[in-house]
Amino acid sequence: MKIKRSVAIPWHIIFIITIIILLYPIVFALGSSFKTLEDAYNNVLNIVPLNPTFENYITFFNSLPAFKITMNTFIIASVATIFKLITSFLAAYAFVFLQFKGKNILYFMLISTIFIPFTVTMIPNYLIISGIGLVNSVWGVILPQLANALGIFLMRQSMKTIPISLIEAAKLDHIGHARIMKDIVLPLVRPAVTSTGIWFFITTWNEYVWPVLILKSKENYTLPLALQMYISSEGGTNFTVAMAVSVITMIIPLTLYLIFQKYIIGTFTSSGIK
Amino acid sequence: MKEIRFENVWKSYGKTHVVKGLNLTIHPGERLVLLGPSGCGKSTTLRMIAGLEEITSGDLYLNGVKANDIPSGKRNVAMVFQNYALYPHMNVVENITYGLKVQKVHKDEIQKRLNAVLEMLQLKGYENRLPKDLSGGQRQRVALARAVVKKSDFFLLDEPLSNLDAQLRVSARKELVKIHEMYKQTIVYVTHDQIEAMTIGDRIALMNQGQLQMVDTPENVYNRPANIFTAKFIGSPPTNIVDMDYYDGKVMIGKQSFLLHPMWIRQINECNAKTFVFGIRPEHLEIYKTPQENTLKGTVKYVENQGSSYSIYINLEGHEVIAMSEKKNWHPGEMVYLKPKMDRIHIFDQESTQSIGYPQELDLNESSPMNHKINVETYLS
Amino acid sequence: MSDGTVFKNKESWKAYCLLIPTLIIFSIFMFWPFLYTIYLSFFDWNMITPTKEFVGLKNYIDVLSDRNTYKILGNTFIYIAFLLVINCIIPYLFAFVLDLILKRFNGFYKSALFLPAFISLVVGSILFTWILNPVSGPVAIILGWFGIEMPIWSKLDGWVILVLSLITSWKVFGYNFIVLYASINGISREIIEAARLDNVPLWKIFFHIVLPMSSATGIYVFIITIVQGLQYVFTPIKVITQGGPNYASSNAIYHAYHEAFVLYRTGHSAALSIMTMLIFFILLALEFKFVERGIYYEN
Repeated sequence: MKIKRSVAIPWHIIFIITIIILLYPIVFALGSSFKTLEDAYNNVLNIVPLNPTFENYITFFNSLPAFKITMNTFIIASVATIFKLITSFLAAYAFVFLQFKGKNILYFMLISTIFIPFTVTMIPNYLIISGIGLVNSVWGVILPQLANALGIFLMRQSMKTIPISLIEAAKLDHIGHARIMKDIVLPLVRPAVTSTGIWFFITTWNEYVWPVLILKSKENYTLPLALQMYISSEGGTNFTVAMAVSVITMIIPLTLYLIFQKYIIGTFTSSGIK
Repeated sequence: MKEIRFENVWKSYGKTHVVKGLNLTIHPGERLVLLGPSGCGKSTTLRMIAGLEEITSGDLYLNGVKANDIPSGKRNVAMVFQNYALYPHMNVVENITYGLKVQKVHKDEIQKRLNAVLEMLQLKGYENRLPKDLSGGQRQRVALARAVVKKSDFFLLDEPLSNLDAQLRVSARKELVKIHEMYKQTIVYVTHDQIEAMTIGDRIALMNQGQLQMVDTPENVYNRPANIFTAKFIGSPPTNIVDMDYYDGKVMIGKQSFLLHPMWIRQINECNAKTFVFGIRPEHLEIYKTPQENTLKGTVKYVENQGSSYSIYINLEGHEVIAMSEKKNWHPGEMVYLKPKMDRIHIFDQESTQSIGYPQELDLNESSPMNHKINVETYLS
Repeated sequence: MSDGTVFKNKESWKAYCLLIPTLIIFSIFMFWPFLYTIYLSFFDWNMITPTKEFVGLKNYIDVLSDRNTYKILGNTFIYIAFLLVINCIIPYLFAFVLDLILKRFNGFYKSALFLPAFISLVVGSILFTWILNPVSGPVAIILGWFGIEMPIWSKLDGWVILVLSLITSWKVFGYNFIVLYASINGISREIIEAARLDNVPLWKIFFHIVLPMSSATGIYVFIITIVQGLQYVFTPIKVITQGGPNYASSNAIYHAYHEAFVLYRTGHSAALSIMTMLIFFILLALEFKFVERGIYYEN
């Protein structure tokens, strides 16, 4: 199919401008985080720092328990991801390969929770977490976030592409569910599991709404909460430090995305909907 | 004993009945082909043997034991799927041996069976390839190998050759027969392809709309179809089917008639009806340019080149019938004269569509089954 | 001919075993809280006192008779309008263009447009607060070259919603784009090529072929933009304006949070959440109705 250049070129320009707008904040943060405060104020449009300095990063690590905060973020994201992956995998397997009463209604109930706004569950969840004494703790952040149906949805989509005859062949060989999952289904849906896992990890890493309710003391903060402390001064003296914290907060999700983008885009494009 | 027996087996999804009251015994060590158009229930029947479909009612016996509730894995069946169902992430050897390993078959035994099957199916040299790096024929052989190494009593094949091209199919059919002669499992083979059915089956079970139409040897299915469906389904082009009246030793088709052979008159007199359905295969309908004794008159509609012969489409009293000829010189609009070979006609009851039977005297010349198979194949191709 | 699943009813219990972890988690942290919020919406409570007072529908009446509620509902619809334009219509167009018109740099465009979806909205909020700083931010400086003065958006009704929507869109755009692209990319090439051979102009291909054939995904993106978008906006509101000035940037989601955890009126918060959710579910019901009415279904 031939498309005229006169049509394509303006669109290329529009795409490139859009991408510049979308990516500029990231470059801006990266540049500013290595600037001195003076440089940042005087040369706003200059992306490259005049005298690159690690000062801002050092300030962050001195003023807050930065290592603990980063570890907290990492632990919360990892535990939640692993747990959600396992439960979603098992549930998706049941929904795809097993027959049981109430299957459709149950699936519908789980998936429709994607459309429930978090405000509907936030008060009782807060009461539950404070009731079992998990306020201001890592587990208090993790537990309510585990109720997430997206993983079931994505993995079910992926498992549905496995020809049913593969499972039937295994069944004729008297192979049990555990082995079918481990030897056949898991290897075949590994790309989906990987990208779902990365998506979970990144969303939990970035999560702000729930941790802000649960985490009270600075040493228990996650990175987005630490970062948020720098806004109150409205670009005041801490501006360049805020940029450094932004970079630290971004770096892991972006690295994961850049490494696994093929998988991730593949999963989101092949899963489609329904 | 390796016998499979269906006793009044039904398979229904809600109100849809896919298999309706199947009674069928598959003998130990035979090759039975389940043949029929798509949606006739043949695959479902096969899958019920494998335990992949539940039986709605009736009983299935394997080795004389009621098997309705035996899980698939314990039925001692091996199956080749239409899409082969090879594990895409395992290489040839892993695909073939995976089941045995999980079953904890001894290592040496696995190796022995593996070597034998690799040898037999010419898979040596491909051991470490993934399915995606194999040709269609090789994949099919891996699927076959994976089923063979199980050494099961029952060997089920669900349209295993339908994804292969014509030449590969011929060699794959031979391979399959060879394997069967070595292991003598009971084979149930599902196909919609009559050539496959004819060449592979010891017996053919023809199904339509969930019902068994006929179970018999390929020769009998071809020569003595039990009903109109069988007559039309087997053979290409299909058997000509025309309504007829019987009167005083004559077959009346529209305003024309021809005399029946006395053996047929005796046969037809056993029925109390006057109207029947007449069937004759195109290859058994002789066609002439000039009037002959005992012929029917028709007009050529068009001629189709079949390669080795020509199909002549003829208007006979408002019915379209087909005759075969080795000559090309037939022209639309031309008047022709048709003579059914008296020993190859079929007469069916109009209401039940069942054959009224065949005269006892009718002993077909092609008594050697081997000869006949070859004949059938040339006719059908 | 198979019913799609291999294992039979006799094995139901195995399925339930596999589902148990999911069911426990969802029961405790989703289904029970859902019901309890409905319960709370009929009580007057401040989360601290040991007793709750049953007040019937009073919370709903209070919420519906509060003038701020209408301001916030109005804001909510303005947010929805902005979000739909930026994250539904534009990505639809982009996806179409990328799939049909642009042949080069395809992969690069996809990954670059999707990239901000992986960054925290807190980061986004902080960065844009500075970039869009009306006095000293880079955008203000560039506009200054042309003599344009940037509005002090965080203090102005309307402007504040637009900017917060833009910040949210920065994150949401890529996901919607990718999903729509996948749907359009899944449309049979033969159909589109046949239209091209008939010299059908591109805009007609978009409206007559691509739009109807990707409409199931289109509606999904439409719904998800409203439902998720409003929740995503929560973060920039909380980080940048706290709903201000004078509720000018608050929406239904933020206000429910504000009622519960700032004003400690759980009843009002619960009533508002339930009403918001009902609106969402009406939208969903509409989706199902439309989809079942035979809007073309992919696959």
